[in-house]
Amino acid sequence: MSSETAFIPWTRKYKPKSLSEVVGNEEAKRKILGWIRSWEKGVPDKRAIFIYGPPGVGKTATVEALANDLNMEIIESDASTYRTEEAVRRFAGRASQYGSLFGMKRLIVFDELDGITGSADYGGLREITEIVKNSRVPVILIANDAYDPRFAALRNNCLLIEFKKPSKVEVMRHLAKICAKEGINADEAALRFIAERSNGDVRSAVTDLQALAQGRTRLTYEDVSWLASRDRKEKIFDVLRMIFYAKDASTAKAAVNMADVDLDMLFEWIYENIPYQIKNPHELANAMDMLAKADVYRRRVKETQDWTFLRYVIDLMTAGVASSWSKKSAGWTPFKFPERIKTASFSKEERMLLSEIGRRIGRKCHLSSSRAVREVLPYLRVIFQNNPKMAKGIARWLDLTNEMITYISGEQ
Amino acid sequence: MWTEKYRPRTLDEIVDQEEIVSRLKSFVKAKNVPHCIFAGPPGTGKTTAALCLAHDLYGENYREYIMELNASDERGINVVRETVKTFARTKPIGEVTFKILILDEADNMTEDAQQALRRTMERYSETARFILIANYSGRIIEPIQSRCAPFRFTYLPREAVIERIRYICERENVKILDDGIEAILEISEGDLRKTVNILQTAASLNKPIDAEVVYSVVGRANPYDVREMMLIALNGDFIAARNKLRELTQKYGLTGIDIIKQIHNEIFRLNVPDKWKVKLADIAGEVDYRLIQGASDEVQLSAMLARLVEAGYEIKRAL
Repeated sequence: MSSETAFIPWTRKYKPKSLSEVVGNEEAKRKILGWIRSWEKGVPDKRAIFIYGPPGVGKTATVEALANDLNMEIIESDASTYRTEEAVRRFAGRASQYGSLFGMKRLIVFDELDGITGSADYGGLREITEIVKNSRVPVILIANDAYDPRFAALRNNCLLIEFKKPSKVEVMRHLAKICAKEGINADEAALRFIAERSNGDVRSAVTDLQALAQGRTRLTYEDVSWLASRDRKEKIFDVLRMIFYAKDASTAKAAVNMADVDLDMLFEWIYENIPYQIKNPHELANAMDMLAKADVYRRRVKETQDWTFLRYVIDLMTAGVASSWSKKSAGWTPFKFPERIKTASFSKEERMLLSEIGRRIGRKCHLSSSRAVREVLPYLRVIFQNNPKMAKGIARWLDLTNEMITYISGEQ
Repeated sequence: MWTEKYRPRTLDEIVDQEEIVSRLKSFVKAKNVPHCIFAGPPGTGKTTAALCLAHDLYGENYREYIMELNASDERGINVVRETVKTFARTKPIGEVTFKILILDEADNMTEDAQQALRRTMERYSETARFILIANYSGRIIEPIQSRCAPFRFTYLPREAVIERIRYICERENVKILDDGIEAILEISEGDLRKTVNILQTAASLNKPIDAEVVYSVVGRANPYDVREMMLIALNGDFIAARNKLRELTQKYGLTGIDIIKQIHNEIFRLNVPDKWKVKLADIAGEVDYRLIQGASDEVQLSAMLARLVEAGYEIKRAL
């Protein structure tokens, strides 16, 4: 019955609004604050800071929180915009010369500097260096690696501030806060597991948490431990996105090569997610049909041990699914992980116990075991729950073991 | 259990199916029984008739002269070759010169197994007679059918079932109301086994059995309602229907084949245009076949549910 409409990433929903909410990196935050305050006494020695550190530790979030705290306007450029010499000048040249607009203090930010390329963004770095040298407003540069040789000239004109990975405990505390706000009762072990796996990458920890916990009221270790089987680099969500939203058949097929999960696992992911992504009834039916056909081929692979059949499995589960819908989703829907893998299915022992009960009923009632399970056992359950005396007689007559009796009366 | 307690022991005790009973009695008299096929819907007395025949033929120790095999449990060629052969090979001691092998749910045997069975039937016909029990005789291969005397069991008439219910209630000291009887009749649809199982379960509540009691025990006994799953899908909620499916397979251990059979039963009872019934039956047939071939229960049945969602959508749009 769940009908998620527009999907808000928790990384955005729980983005720190204030510097104090940023996870960890206390020293770096203090340095940044000190530097920005120094502007109040006039242009400081270093007009720019260069924030660097691994992905997902809160570099950009810190800058945004800072601007929010100090009520500053951010003029921002990230990797999605061209950063040629010309473009940089247009974007920041004037802005860096005039202190404020509408009375608001201004902050120039060059984010994702690692993404700047020599060819497409020709001359961009040099221009940024010029701006840093002469700016009359604070400039902040952000990159993963400040020691990239390309940044040598730039680096010399900046105050370097390193962001480190927050500790596991800090990440856990952050996750716990989110859970509290989302009304999720999460086990500490579950959060520790997510935090550990994220290896200090807060963003990915929050993304994982959302994927695992959104819409639930309870999160246990069992709910998250399945993640251990996947390496973060596999980016299964990316692969799924690529399949579901592929522009053409070959893109969809190519996604399989990106996935480090095995084909059966990928199949499960696709199977789980079809109804969440594809809502139109015709398209849903067609997509499920494609997957069902892929399943038939998968069966043929096993039957014939001829692995060349796999190519058809892949065709149908990727291009088949992608081409069966118009890809016009009402809003971005998150991918779910496969329930089938998570929920402990009917265990082998249970199945064996059940068929043995069926055999014992069948022996007395002249029925096959499966029929006894189907047609008689349901009534026995009710009798066993209601009428111990009658149950006792039946149990003796059928020669049921204690384990069987417990099973029959304990269900539901 | 009451189904066994009140199962007739002799042909005389069988309340209905008069024609069949009189033919079987003539076999007893002649002390000769041909190979037989007992075909008909569940709970109409096929197994009972076979057991009563054996009882009347061999007397109280009839169990020594018969073998009951269930094709659903013990299917496959090997079972026919080994078990059946070993049993059929030896001659029994006594007046009757053959043993009886009752093969229940014979329509669930593979064709290969049936071919093997046919040869076994021929070879050992001196010492063993076969009674094949099936819901559909059409699923028994022609060569076997032509070697067997066919018996077609039909649903018990309403009155006979009512009489049976009253008889059991009297013996068990259970009070039953008229609407309770009506409810049981409605649910069990002429299946006497089901009738008695429902009756005993209702009686286990230790209060007078009225319609409400009947519906409540039946509801509790069948939480895995395939029909409900189908209605959810028709209503457009695929995800909820799939969750229901998972409940059926994971919690209640139903196999895909069980479910597709029930789906097929329900299709023609759905409130959808005939055109769709036929279409859905066609899809169910394909799914059934794929499942037998070993495809994934859940994936195939989900694809079926998605078609139900589509059907529901189309039907609503046509209105």
